[in-house]
Amino acid sequence: MKKLLFLAVKDVRVLLSDKGNIFWVFGFPVLFALFFGAIYAGAGKGPSGMKIAVVDEDKSEFASSYISKLESDEALQIVHLSREDATEQVRKGKVAAAVILNKGFGEGFEALFNSDDPRLEIASDPSRRMESGYLQGLLAKAQFEALGDKFIDRKWMRDQINLWRDELENANDLDAEQAELYLNFMDSFDTLLKDANEESFNLGFDGDMLNFAKMDVSREYEGPITPFQITFPQVLLWGFLMCTATFAISIVKERTNGTFDRLRIGPLGYAHILGGKGLACFLTCIFIICILFFGAKAIFKMPTGNLPLFILGLFCTILCFVGLMMFICTLGRTEQSVGAAGWAILMIMGMFGGAMMPLAFMPSWLRPFSHFSPVKWGILALEGAIWRDFRFTEMISPCLVLLAIGISAFSLGVVMLRRQEN
Amino acid sequence: MIKADNLKKRYGDIVALDDVSFEVDQGETFGLLGPNGAGKTTTIQVLCGLLKLDGGAVELDGKRDPSLVEVRLSLGVVPQALAIYEELSAEENLRFFGRMYGLSGRQLNERVANCLEIAGLSQRRKGRVSKYSGGMKRRLNMICSFLHEPPLLLLDEPTVGVDPQSRNLIFDTIEDMKKQGRTIIYTTHYMEEAQRLCDRVAILDHGRILDMDSVENLIVKHGGPSHIEAEFEERLSGPDKIRPFIEDKNIQFEETKIRFATSQPMESLAMLNRSGVRFRSLKVQTANLEDVFLNLTGRRLRD
Repeated sequence: MKKLLFLAVKDVRVLLSDKGNIFWVFGFPVLFALFFGAIYAGAGKGPSGMKIAVVDEDKSEFASSYISKLESDEALQIVHLSREDATEQVRKGKVAAAVILNKGFGEGFEALFNSDDPRLEIASDPSRRMESGYLQGLLAKAQFEALGDKFIDRKWMRDQINLWRDELENANDLDAEQAELYLNFMDSFDTLLKDANEESFNLGFDGDMLNFAKMDVSREYEGPITPFQITFPQVLLWGFLMCTATFAISIVKERTNGTFDRLRIGPLGYAHILGGKGLACFLTCIFIICILFFGAKAIFKMPTGNLPLFILGLFCTILCFVGLMMFICTLGRTEQSVGAAGWAILMIMGMFGGAMMPLAFMPSWLRPFSHFSPVKWGILALEGAIWRDFRFTEMISPCLVLLAIGISAFSLGVVMLRRQEN
Repeated sequence: MIKADNLKKRYGDIVALDDVSFEVDQGETFGLLGPNGAGKTTTIQVLCGLLKLDGGAVELDGKRDPSLVEVRLSLGVVPQALAIYEELSAEENLRFFGRMYGLSGRQLNERVANCLEIAGLSQRRKGRVSKYSGGMKRRLNMICSFLHEPPLLLLDEPTVGVDPQSRNLIFDTIEDMKKQGRTIIYTTHYMEEAQRLCDRVAILDHGRILDMDSVENLIVKHGGPSHIEAEFEERLSGPDKIRPFIEDKNIQFEETKIRFATSQPMESLAMLNRSGVRFRSLKVQTANLEDVFLNLTGRRLRD
């Protein structure tokens, strides 16, 4: 056991003697954590609003009121531009759409609901149809809210009623009985606007026209409390991937420069030598975990979740990657070939396993492939312990998969290595 | 002490060892002399158990399995490649390999200090090996194998690519090991090294031992005659004057110079002196292992 430890310590010292190794094994995962943590932190504050351009060619009071309704909507980010600039920005993809308020937009209900001569235009990128549909909903909401303000403007409403009365009286296509019915309604409405006292009127008409009940889903959801809880398993897996590649290459380096043979000639068993490498890889992974874990706790106040299950998940994940390290080192006879083959395999594992992009964002047809990546199982085990509130029974399946991959890869690696040596 | 019995090893179609047999006694320095690809390194790798044999057997100190821990503890192997950790210092390398051989505490400290002294690396003990010269690395590569003081040493071309100073230091170290009674197998393609260090030499080519004996005997058997080249003060009045004193009938005359082959150079010179000629210069070229190899294979060692 002592010799195993000396072998491992030597490997860690060799690793630490190279600044490049230190960066890739320890520094890169930290940068990765900070980078993606910051991205998710931004996401945690809610999406920044959809950026749209508004062109006010009407310049009416109603248009101003409408624009201020749009500006007060958190889902939108408004920029004021001329028609030409706005369409140019849409073309370049810098804004999702341009909303153009044509002349006559604020002339009243007729102007707003006249389908023959629309006073509001939306210029949007055809590739962003979903955003365009969403925007139309927001514009309709703002329109109703602006109209709501007009409903409590008694003078404006009574002018509108007079206009409608004139139209009804002059309508040739309406029979006399029906016209009488609408005119009576207009008279009653006008009486209401004229005679209702302020308090009762405001009670009836004030308030939002379209008032949705909002429920903050994230507060109901017992998921990650900080964005670093999401990135932490991914970052750890990146650290393990780096460590796996580095130690796989170090074994080949030892084989090519003869130190591996020198160790084989010594009074050590084959198991000792390979065990020493495995232990060194294991210890380095532990260093990575310590740095990231205590860093995340101290700086980002990251909650731990279930610590015993977290340790179990880590143990299984590290063993899996130690096994992979042993297999990868047999994929070539030179540092270059193992480096290239190793990175190709590990990158694919990372890509399909959710180390680059969370599985939730992956196309559904691609997701089944992730089952073949140990990275997916590692992330699942760690997330399960940190924030998915897995029970021990739920941890068993990812842990068993990880152990199975690790043991198989290690055994295969040892067999291939022995065959290559002879 | 070491017995190699009909060693056979192939790499695909290439025959690396073809019935190689030899025995090395305790305290003897045995040389394997041959060009690149002769099978020297394969022999060393087979002896220390790095390679599996296709046929034959190896016996080290009476034991047939080189993978036994007690056998490996008695073995010190200096590989041809620089099998040291360049990222560590000389002292760290020695400490690491010492610990692998079970050394610790004061014993380890003393051995490390002693080895650094022998290799002339005491001053640079803390420096990273990657910054060392080629010769320093070679010395460290060698001394790492002596740390556990093994009675049996296998040295595979330990002087490849070193400067003369380092080469002399390596020779001195090996001669010290010889004096201490260690058994040594030394491979080289430099005949000067084999002549200087080895008690017996096996001439190896294409995986076969062509002959094996002491250096002197090999030269006598296969080296051919020595050559004498002499220049005289005055032009020879007639070759017939000295011809009776020289056995070689193919004697070459040229103005004041002659050149001839002889199996007994000292006697030939004495007779030539008795003929009354006055020498201006004299060059005696005796046969060496290079000639032995040339005569045995038709090729030079470095062809």
